[in-house]
Amino acid sequence: MSLSASLALSRRRLGERPGSRRLRRTESLTGWAFVTPATVIIGTFGAAPIIWSLVMSFQHSDQLSSSTPFVGLRNYRQMIHDPAVASAIWHTLIYTVLFVPGTMVVGLFLAVAMNRKLRFMWVYRTAAYATMAISTISEALVFIWLFDPSYGIVNYVFSLLHIPQQQFLNSPSEALFVVCVMTIWGWSGFAVVIYLAALQGIPKDLTEAASIDGAGPVKSFWRITMPLLSPASLFLAVWLTINALQLFDEVYLSTQGGPLGATTVMVYYLYQQAFENFNFGYASAIAYLLFIVILVVTAIQFRIGRRFTYYRS
Amino acid sequence: MGTYRLRVAASCALAITVVTGLAACGSGSTAAGGDGKSIQIWEGYTGVEAKVFAKMVAQYEKSHPGVKVSTLYVNSDNTLQKVQTAVAGGAPPDIAYLYGSWAPNVAKISSVVTLNDVVKSKSVNWNDFWVGERDVATVNGRVIGMPALVDNLAVVYNKKLFAQAHLPLPGPNWTWSQFEADAKKLTIPSVKQFGTAYVTPGSEDTVWHWEALLWEAGGRVLDTGNTKAAFDSQAGLTALDALRTMAVTDKSMYLDPTDSAYANLFNSGKIGMLVTGPWDLSAFPNIQYGVQIMPSFPGTAGGHQTISGPDNWVVFNNGASRVKTAENFLLWLTAPSQDKFFTLKTGNLPTRQSTASSPGYQSQMDASLPDVSAFISNLGNVKLARPQIASYPQVSQVIGNMIVGVLLGKQQPKAALDAAAAKVNQILAGSG
Repeated sequence: MSLSASLALSRRRLGERPGSRRLRRTESLTGWAFVTPATVIIGTFGAAPIIWSLVMSFQHSDQLSSSTPFVGLRNYRQMIHDPAVASAIWHTLIYTVLFVPGTMVVGLFLAVAMNRKLRFMWVYRTAAYATMAISTISEALVFIWLFDPSYGIVNYVFSLLHIPQQQFLNSPSEALFVVCVMTIWGWSGFAVVIYLAALQGIPKDLTEAASIDGAGPVKSFWRITMPLLSPASLFLAVWLTINALQLFDEVYLSTQGGPLGATTVMVYYLYQQAFENFNFGYASAIAYLLFIVILVVTAIQFRIGRRFTYYRS
Repeated sequence: MGTYRLRVAASCALAITVVTGLAACGSGSTAAGGDGKSIQIWEGYTGVEAKVFAKMVAQYEKSHPGVKVSTLYVNSDNTLQKVQTAVAGGAPPDIAYLYGSWAPNVAKISSVVTLNDVVKSKSVNWNDFWVGERDVATVNGRVIGMPALVDNLAVVYNKKLFAQAHLPLPGPNWTWSQFEADAKKLTIPSVKQFGTAYVTPGSEDTVWHWEALLWEAGGRVLDTGNTKAAFDSQAGLTALDALRTMAVTDKSMYLDPTDSAYANLFNSGKIGMLVTGPWDLSAFPNIQYGVQIMPSFPGTAGGHQTISGPDNWVVFNNGASRVKTAENFLLWLTAPSQDKFFTLKTGNLPTRQSTASSPGYQSQMDASLPDVSAFISNLGNVKLARPQIASYPQVSQVIGNMIVGVLLGKQQPKAALDAAAAKVNQILAGSG
């Protein structure tokens, strides 16, 4: 039942003439009453800090002394000349480019593998989703030990396979990849759930028709399943990209931006500026740069995604 | 119709309740009352410390009728962040436990109470606190806190591994070249045993370990006026070379980027010697360990030194009468008898020299935590403090990256020192 239909019904029940002005006012009052709590909460904890940090990005503010002079665009100008910002953006982009497709491929593979009737399938599905339920801190601790250069299992396996021992989190050229493996593992459960739901929404008759027409399982996967999964893929791509650009927890817990700044991504850098160096104005400016980056990237994704997304209706 | 109206009224009422409820949260509803006799303390104690502290607070309230001291647990790592928020909201705590490394930045907060007159009073006996504590509580001559905790770095070693390697145990006159030689002999790659370890997240934990070596080699972090880098000296090179020999040349040093794995490894008998503080001792129940002061660099002016990271109790202004109540409580809390009581119960180091030298005290301490008395006597080796400047966090990040770069073999010590010094000078000049 649509909203207008239900409103008409309630009007009839109340024995009121439709279009009565007083009633409409009461209705809008009711509406406001329902949304006010959420509006107040979102406004207080969401909108107010967003606006405040915009103001702060034009100030010199350490959040300690009470003086917060306006400095115009100085924070933004400083950002352009700060090589650490450039390398933080670079690390963030490398990470995003690896993380988003990586998570989607792993998620899709697991979802297709689990999209069948097998005994104890619920065990596998729970196990796959468990990566989402496990706290980031336990995840980080486990991965730190797996990738420990001297005592970790990964290097042990490498030694059995006669692969040279790696320094992992101690190596500026490898640390970001370890962080990437860690987060792909952590987010794959989320991708599995989305893809599994989408797979179960694909009607059997389409794949059956394709097989009658002589398409093998590989062909029918690429020609039938993948296009029908495209809305889910677009959703995942956008959602995971936004998350990737905001990477913080795993870095904070495992490498603290090191070694030698190799895993200092944008949010970690702005955290350092704000909470370690007390440059809140500068950190706010970086936050707004990140906001613009996310806005642009998401817009591009929707633009391109629309062309490749197939909605069945 | 009637029920409809009622429902509208009810939802409006609900909305109003939510709004006013939120507003009430924002208006500084601290537990402290208006008579000036109720104060609130933010502290970060857990476990035994929390129990002992609660007991002391209860005792104080009992002996001071009318005074109410409410405590609020805040993870010490985040206390300054929360204090900043509370100050912005106009409702800071009356007393907060804040790390000493924050002191120059804490001094900028306008509601921090200056305690010079308070600590001048004879009964306080300010000079009874260790010089390292007094230095950290004082920013440009202004006392902004009372000492809450003191520690220092010394060498903790595994007696069994020394015996297995047929090495004599470290003595009080040992040198860094002995330390390096011992570390090399204690390293057995086949069983993944390391002579020593170093924390390499590049944070302040990486930096202050090295600063102790720098001072022992006769160097300083910054010049006396805190205007220029001074660590790019022969002493800086000596200190950095010592670490590099173990990390890069001998491979006798386990590099720990997580800042947490080293303790477990030492407790599993995988590491021979650790430069660490008294807080780690309770994490080594499986090991027969000994504690020795830091080795020296013979031929330099430094001798045996160490570094201390004291923390402060800071008072915030919530009106004259509450400030008075807070000051009185702190004076009681940091007085000799409370210092003795708290440290004996918790194994923390005494904040007062008179406590350390009171008869029977050190053997009592050792009974609960073996060899902790070595850390107590080591407090006398704290001769210098980290630079007390607001930009120290930035300086620390540069030095941290310099040390990690050298230990990972990415940079040569001399070049690393020069590059870091140039960056630090930029920061100190205000353009960093």
